[in-house]
Amino acid sequence: MDRRRALALFVNTTVAFIGSALSAVLGAFALGPSRAWQSARWVRAGALTDLTPNVPVPRVLVISRQDGWYRERARETVFLVWDGDKSIHALSATCTHLGCQVRWDTDTTNFRCPCHGGVFDAQGHVVSGPPPRPLDRIEARLDPSGADVLVRL
Amino acid sequence: MKLRRSASGIGEWLQSRTGFRGARHALLDEQLPPGTGWFFTLGSVLLALLGVQLLTGAFLTLYYAPTPDHAYDSIRFIVSTAAGRIVHGLHHYGSSFIVVAIVLHMLRVVAFGSYKPPREVTWLSGLALFGLVLAFSLTGYLLPWDQRAYWATVVTINMAKLTPLAGEVAAGVLRGGDSIGALTLTRWYAVHVIFLPALLILLVVLHVVLMRRHGISGPVRPHPGPMTPFYPWQAARDTAVVAVVLATMAAFAWDGAPPLEGRADPTDATYVPRPEWYFLGLFQLLKYFPGKWEVVGGMVVPGLAAAFLILLPWLDRGPERNPRKRPAVLLAVAIGMAGVVTLTTLGWRDSPRNREATAWTLREIGGRTLVQQTGCARCHSEEGLADSLEALTSSRGTEWLAGHVADPEMIAPGLREPPARRDEREVAAIVAYVHRLARQPYPAIPRETEVAGAIFARFCVGCHTIDADGGKDGPDLSAIGSKRDQDTLRRIVAHPTSVNPDAEMPAFGRRLTPAELDAISRYLAARR
Repeated sequence: MDRRRALALFVNTTVAFIGSALSAVLGAFALGPSRAWQSARWVRAGALTDLTPNVPVPRVLVISRQDGWYRERARETVFLVWDGDKSIHALSATCTHLGCQVRWDTDTTNFRCPCHGGVFDAQGHVVSGPPPRPLDRIEARLDPSGADVLVRL
Repeated sequence: MKLRRSASGIGEWLQSRTGFRGARHALLDEQLPPGTGWFFTLGSVLLALLGVQLLTGAFLTLYYAPTPDHAYDSIRFIVSTAAGRIVHGLHHYGSSFIVVAIVLHMLRVVAFGSYKPPREVTWLSGLALFGLVLAFSLTGYLLPWDQRAYWATVVTINMAKLTPLAGEVAAGVLRGGDSIGALTLTRWYAVHVIFLPALLILLVVLHVVLMRRHGISGPVRPHPGPMTPFYPWQAARDTAVVAVVLATMAAFAWDGAPPLEGRADPTDATYVPRPEWYFLGLFQLLKYFPGKWEVVGGMVVPGLAAAFLILLPWLDRGPERNPRKRPAVLLAVAIGMAGVVTLTTLGWRDSPRNREATAWTLREIGGRTLVQQTGCARCHSEEGLADSLEALTSSRGTEWLAGHVADPEMIAPGLREPPARRDEREVAAIVAYVHRLARQPYPAIPRETEVAGAIFARFCVGCHTIDADGGKDGPDLSAIGSKRDQDTLRRIVAHPTSVNPDAEMPAFGRRLTPAELDAISRYLAARR
């Protein structure tokens, strides 16, 4: 290899290396946060004494979410369902059809969606109307003392 | 074989449609005079540094938010990842590297007499670029919106008031509003990321086009031999120097820029402003011209220096380029540089260290113990409603924090069990702890010191100082252990009059438990 070609090789590889190192750092910087995910956590949703067996009780929870450098406080409605003994679960109040908030109708003991007439039973299963699937279940448990209900959001 | 033929086929097609080989030829095959050497690599170094600066700057705008409420938090978010720290670090140190490279480049041009006809306009465009780089630095300094940024900008704007005849107008234009705030920040941001870069690209193109139009000035005395193309001969030297410079910069940037200071607090009168290091000379110069003479240091001296540089091609006439035969110019520049270096060094030694240093103060350490006793963790924990204290990214002002600590429910309604109320001093310690924690992870500090810290923060800090934090009514306790032993100290704290009948200090024998008395006296005895 003559001197000219050796120098050309040096210039080309060095420039390529600098370029790729810079691209790697800038790429990681630009894409980093889009891969980050918010871990769910247990949030206190209410006291067990506030619940009635087999009657879904609505709770409005304020969840603070970190959005990059911005802290967002979102409100989310969940229904707590207790069987009167050890079993407890929670249902999202968001209708699986188009996202309206369902309400508990004490007369018919059904969830009703005000937008397009979707109806769900106390377990969240679709009874009638357009919703494609049951209401989303949210994990719930009693705290160790047994006095408070925690849901995982 | 087939691959190579199809590759060359694509090349031919591209050439016929775009003529790219002509552009490559124009960019890389410039004929350079023999003897062009390492001194002529500085232009390429500057181009590379400016390129890195433009790129890192463009990517930083992905996350930066130019408002007083969010700027500080957004920078903290940027440096919360490894890649972010490096990008921010490159951008931070890049400005210093550019200033150094530009000064070296100018010294080379002066020494070689490269500004002489026909290259006067190339010289002037270079000076304009220097000014632009300083403007970049000034505007960029404000953007993190921490104490350093805010107070340096206060000084900059006060200096602008020295402008003859139009001082208030100049300051108003820089401020945007009637005080330094949201309008200043958006204004400096826009200038930093839109107006200055546009001007910079324009001027760099002009500078390079002019350089190519007249060819480079080359060595002072013509060397024998044929002209050689830029690529790969000079390009190899340029690449080697650029690689070394960028590697050095990457080493600096690896751990990121120096940590942010506290969020900008316009009410903090104790903060002593400090500019970026390359403005320290100017900062120092101002100190020698107090009162009505300030305008001499702030405007006249820098103005004369600028005028000298602008007029240089017309002051140093004649075709002679050899530095040995132009002693007057070289002497003038050497004196100027000596002045700048001396002033910068003096400014460096004179610049006060702010409290921000690295060590945690005893009050901050005590704040941690108080936080644990207060039950902040009931909400500020992994499972809680609010972020854990370590992960807090919000950086509220002192007043908000103090209000929240004193009565959490007032600011975060709905708490079922508000923690115990805390008195003013305890609140101050907790606020100090949280503020420090927001910038620096808590180091491993012995439990005994933490207990002593809480006692100090609750009872002693009003009158006594330790490590420059505390009141001035009583003696400084930073090295009290070298004067008193533990037993004496314990008696003084419990019943001061038992040691010194004239003592004005209140007795703490009843307010502190025996264990607490042991802890604080043991800690004080260890301070030597």
